[in-house]
Amino acid sequence: MIGEYSGFILAGLGGGAVVAALALGLVLTNRATGVINFAFGAMGMYVAFAYFQFRDNGDLILPLIFVPSRIHLLATPTLFTALLMAVLLSAVLGAATYWLVFRPLRRAPALASVVASLGLMLYLQEVVRLNFPTGSAATVVRMGVLPEQPVRFLGTAVTANRLLLVVFVVLATVALTALFRYTKFGLQTRAAAGSQKGAMLVGISPDRIGLINSMIATVIAGIAVILIEPISGLDPITTSLLVLPALAAALLGGLSSFTIATCAGLGIGMLQSLILGYTVRPSTSWIPDWVPRTGLQQAVPVILVLIALVWRGDALPDRAYLVDKRLPSSPTPRHVTLWTILLVGATSVALLGFDAAHRQALIVTMVSALLALSIVVITGYVGQISLAQLAFAGVAGFTVINVANDGLPFPVAALVATLVATVVGVVVALPAARVRGMSLAIATLAMAVALEQLVLSSKGFSGGVAGRSAPRPVLFGVDFGISARGADNFRPIFGFLVLGVLTVSCLMVANLRRNRTGLRWLAVRSNERAAAAAGINVGRSKIGAFAVSSCIAGLAGVLLAYSTSTLSTNSFMVIGALVALALTYLGGIASIGGALIAGLLAQAGLFTLLANGGTDGKAGTYVFAISGLGLIAMAIFAPDGITGAVRQGAQHLQKSLKMGGQPPQQTALAGAGAGSGPGAGAGPAEGKPDHE
Amino acid sequence: MSEVILQVRDLSVRYGGVLALSSVSFDVADAQIVGLIGPNGAGKTTCIDALSGFTAPSARNPSFRYISFLGRSIDRLSPQSRVRLGFARTFQSLELFDDLTVRDNLRVAAATPTWISTLTDALWPKRKVDAAVEEVLELLGLDSFAEDRPEHLSNGQRHLVAVGRALVGRPKLLLLDEPAAGLNPSETVELSKLLRSLPDRGVSVLLVDHDMSLVLGVCDQVHVLDFGSIIASGTPEQIRSDPLVISAYLGHGSSGVDEPALGAGSES
Repeated sequence: MIGEYSGFILAGLGGGAVVAALALGLVLTNRATGVINFAFGAMGMYVAFAYFQFRDNGDLILPLIFVPSRIHLLATPTLFTALLMAVLLSAVLGAATYWLVFRPLRRAPALASVVASLGLMLYLQEVVRLNFPTGSAATVVRMGVLPEQPVRFLGTAVTANRLLLVVFVVLATVALTALFRYTKFGLQTRAAAGSQKGAMLVGISPDRIGLINSMIATVIAGIAVILIEPISGLDPITTSLLVLPALAAALLGGLSSFTIATCAGLGIGMLQSLILGYTVRPSTSWIPDWVPRTGLQQAVPVILVLIALVWRGDALPDRAYLVDKRLPSSPTPRHVTLWTILLVGATSVALLGFDAAHRQALIVTMVSALLALSIVVITGYVGQISLAQLAFAGVAGFTVINVANDGLPFPVAALVATLVATVVGVVVALPAARVRGMSLAIATLAMAVALEQLVLSSKGFSGGVAGRSAPRPVLFGVDFGISARGADNFRPIFGFLVLGVLTVSCLMVANLRRNRTGLRWLAVRSNERAAAAAGINVGRSKIGAFAVSSCIAGLAGVLLAYSTSTLSTNSFMVIGALVALALTYLGGIASIGGALIAGLLAQAGLFTLLANGGTDGKAGTYVFAISGLGLIAMAIFAPDGITGAVRQGAQHLQKSLKMGGQPPQQTALAGAGAGSGPGAGAGPAEGKPDHE
Repeated sequence: MSEVILQVRDLSVRYGGVLALSSVSFDVADAQIVGLIGPNGAGKTTCIDALSGFTAPSARNPSFRYISFLGRSIDRLSPQSRVRLGFARTFQSLELFDDLTVRDNLRVAAATPTWISTLTDALWPKRKVDAAVEEVLELLGLDSFAEDRPEHLSNGQRHLVAVGRALVGRPKLLLLDEPAAGLNPSETVELSKLLRSLPDRGVSVLLVDHDMSLVLGVCDQVHVLDFGSIIASGTPEQIRSDPLVISAYLGHGSSGVDEPALGAGSES
């Protein structure tokens, strides 16, 4: 009995070691640059793919698109040359990501670095999918590095590679701890983390520090993922998501302790293995059937993340936290009636005039825009980075199918499902309202994983892999169902239903944004302390915003359920949530127009359909990779997104058209203001001299 | 003597091993301007943070009333609840909402939301002008900048917006954290005029600043903080001649002769 458990626990050493290695890297980059890199698992994943490719046939595959990426380096690669190549490649990758992505974002808001690292993760996943032979067609023989024969350890059989992995991680931990404690470089890193300006003043270059630490961290991650391959396999998505348990471990170490992060990582791995081993035994029949057995094991790091975050959380940020960082600007919606008439009119014409394929793309666009709108509310208006919106949509989608199949009529079922999503959103918001910025992004990502693994993957709720189908929505005897035979498929009447929901949602969000609720949200986003001093209940504002946004996400989920013949869990995987946030950021995260553009850009939306038409289907292949790159670029150069760029362009044009000799009004006013007393106009300061 | 609206008793704040505020006690009466001065690091901002609920006092005897406002204990209230009771504050660093126009900066602080206001805002928004907001904009001379964003305003105007945001909820007591920081002398004079007009509008003021001239010029009663304790209390005249105050500001051994900060107050 005991032996059985210790077998499970020791088997988890391998997984635990790779979690610990990634956690070490996260702690290292956070200490050196203050950034939490969501793409860290993906970076290790790419290095491992490159290593096995090189070890197999001497080809180095670079993470590039549109240019030849395969270089034949060696005819007969050996273990040594392949490992050397992997170390060099990781170092270069670490340096490049630091220099190109995270260095420009050092002073940017948390949202920008989250978005950029999500972009990097998406890009790396896509580039691996595009450039490497994967899946069943894999032709690469993955030669493991470490010996795999079983050895006896503490009276239990365990493979040697697991023990060696642990040795590798422990050595790395000891080395890093010593490096930080006893060397000048470690001292400089700690100094630069404390105050970059101060460090520069005493002649330390924060760039050099950040660069070197990023290189070390990536090498550790790359090697660990290579070593774990024989144990856990290698997959673009699941390996990238190893960053989540690693984050849990790093957070338990306060994002600063190497030793605690390593211990926590090993602990998480062993606990997961124990739970997995325990739950799949036939004798553990007390666990009800609706609990997905593999989900339980995934939920452990999630619960740890949440506990660590909420435990460390604060109701309000303290003085030291406040930094003056610009967030994407959120203009007041203007000309709402005009826009509504124009867009609803154009969409109606399109619904009636398009063929089935374009109608389908239009419907996908509108449903995606609705999901993006929920992200605009919570992340754009209130500044709370939520990666759980797609999971809320999933909860609503399967709920509507279940209650409709139980006999509830269409509109009631849809309302019930939306309400359920809203309640789930509020429940998620309760702990989330205690954390902010990067921590909130991690917390909501953890919640999304928990919902995906425990609820959406549950056979009783979603029908498991097979999925479930909704009955046709019928209201007052009118059939709103989407499907029909042949060219009539993707019926316009369903499109009008979606258009109606989207229009009403956008108008309500515009109302909120223009009135006190929206002002309170923006105030909370701008400065939580000042918001509290203005009499705003910050926590309640956030929870209200979560309710509104999860309600909208729920509507999107309901429409998604009715628009597909079979709804499956695959529609709501965490990677999709990342893409949704990414596209919304691309469109313009703090405006309703941004949500609509995000809908256009969505996969299988109008843009990909049109682009595919012009490029023989190639655009669809590259859409994720390009949106990953676009995301990084936007985070660095254009935080206001596409709508922001268009708006600025329009203002620029207006200005240059007006430039008929008269000076631009804006600058004249600012110039007068800068020099004068409290009021250049009326009031107590009237008539004051400009200078003392 | 008019009614006491704020009563502070034995208030202490500890940051780790540092006692930032040590057993501070004072009162603010209705329609009074009370000053709290002290050199840098004396505990002024800590005191404001504790009064407004942003910092927890270190001693917490549940039966003792450390801070009473309008006759009730506010020790357990959140910052926003204290504001809604009529105890507003500003920040030394202003902390304006940069995304909002000047008018919206005031509007957001003007009304208390009800639990249903999100719903009514979404479905049936009210379009009427808020009288309190327009009144404060006019009082502070900000009406012509109402549609500008704070970043386009001068430093003095931004200070006025901060004061306006605190005034718009019609507080009984206004806590001003270094309102003159970064203002030029003429702006400071305008500010002190504004402050002196507030008691007539039913607003008492607790003014925290290290600018002696401003504080001594407008306040009815002044308390001097040094190393977290109140070392002197009295009218501006008494404070001006207090040897303890002079040594706290100028260091030991100085005579009170050559310091402009103390003398300047009488001019304005």
